[in-house]
Amino acid sequence: MSVTPDLIRKKLIAEIGAIHVDVEDTSPSRCAASFKVLVVSPQFEGKQLLQRHRMVNNCLAQELKEIHAFEQKTLTPEQWEKQKAQ
Amino acid sequence: MANFTDAASLQQFDELLKNNSKSLTVVHFHAPWAPQCSQMNDVMAELAKEHKHTMFVKLEAEAVPEVSEKYEITSVPTFLFFKGGEKIDRLDGAHAPELTNKVQRLGSGGGGAVGAGDVPKEDLNQRLKRLINAAPCMLFMKGSPQEPRCGFSRQIIQILKDHNVQYSSFDILSDEEVRQGLKTYSNWPTYPQVYVSGELIGGLDIVKELVESGELENTFPKTVSLENRLKSLINKSPVMLFMKGNKEAAKCGFSRQILEIMNNTGVEYDTFDILEDEEVRQGLKTYSNWPTFPQLYVKGDLIGGLDIVKELLEGGELVSVLKGEN
Repeated sequence: MSVTPDLIRKKLIAEIGAIHVDVEDTSPSRCAASFKVLVVSPQFEGKQLLQRHRMVNNCLAQELKEIHAFEQKTLTPEQWEKQKAQ
Repeated sequence: MANFTDAASLQQFDELLKNNSKSLTVVHFHAPWAPQCSQMNDVMAELAKEHKHTMFVKLEAEAVPEVSEKYEITSVPTFLFFKGGEKIDRLDGAHAPELTNKVQRLGSGGGGAVGAGDVPKEDLNQRLKRLINAAPCMLFMKGSPQEPRCGFSRQIIQILKDHNVQYSSFDILSDEEVRQGLKTYSNWPTYPQVYVSGELIGGLDIVKELVESGELENTFPKTVSLENRLKSLINKSPVMLFMKGNKEAAKCGFSRQILEIMNNTGVEYDTFDILEDEEVRQGLKTYSNWPTFPQLYVKGDLIGGLDIVKELLEGGELVSVLKGEN
């Protein structure tokens, strides 16, 4: 089955405790799948960017095999609140 | 000939892979309008005669988009190598010697003893370690900085350039073993990947965040061109004197004289000993188009040497010049 925004969202919520997920399907028409995700999770607390991205990459390991271009941003709930306030 | 054929659809392609899963299959993604593709088809035809057990497949890239897109074919000619239904290598571009070499290497042997598998893997890890340490900053990308071949690689190059980062790069499209091996080695599934001192920093998203947070400067080695260095030095203080020796011990007559004059003005100034740095000594002559030392700068502008300073002194203008007035 092909990768869908909903599948990505569900996995991120279930596996890394995401409290907020934005998934944007950036696939150009007739091209391979491309996604841009914003993930907010308390599990990112105290973790460097590399660790956070790896958590997301590992969570979506199977899907990434089919995704051509994947972009991500990882925030803690605190960072997310701060960003929304701007 | 039996081992050289066309695939005109996804179904045909899959069937060919399945039917030939025990030996090597080489797929040439080509386009009728590209002359290099015709040449490479000729090369393939010759190889097919010599390698009877290898299947050679021509696939028109634009006619079968499902296959081209699945394997990220972005240019022609591109060759993919399959065994056991799995892609095992890739060659982008019209490189007949490399194609021949890959067919020979991948087509021969195969299984091998159980223990034999350990040796190539060890070699690969050593190789990957060597590659990520090849330069203080290493970028693994698609294509080269001059010709990036995907949007993400292009973006990261622009960022590194904008921030004067000094780096070397490796084209993962040129080596499928490195491309796949590094994903496992670094537990990072995508490209570009950027390393500093052999440590993975991350991909494009992380580099972008480092820019936003202002941490990029601290993370990456920076190119400091001589010109930038000289500009920085002449602006180190409002009044900068480049001389032989320093304030406590001038090492030539002209430097000693100019020190005396400067000290009498009461104006604050700093010095740089050109005897300590040949690069600055020669560079500054070119930069300022002034062949001798000492050289006096005020707010980054060359005033001149001893003779000019003497004239300014006699004319009563020296102090105002040193203060940056007029």
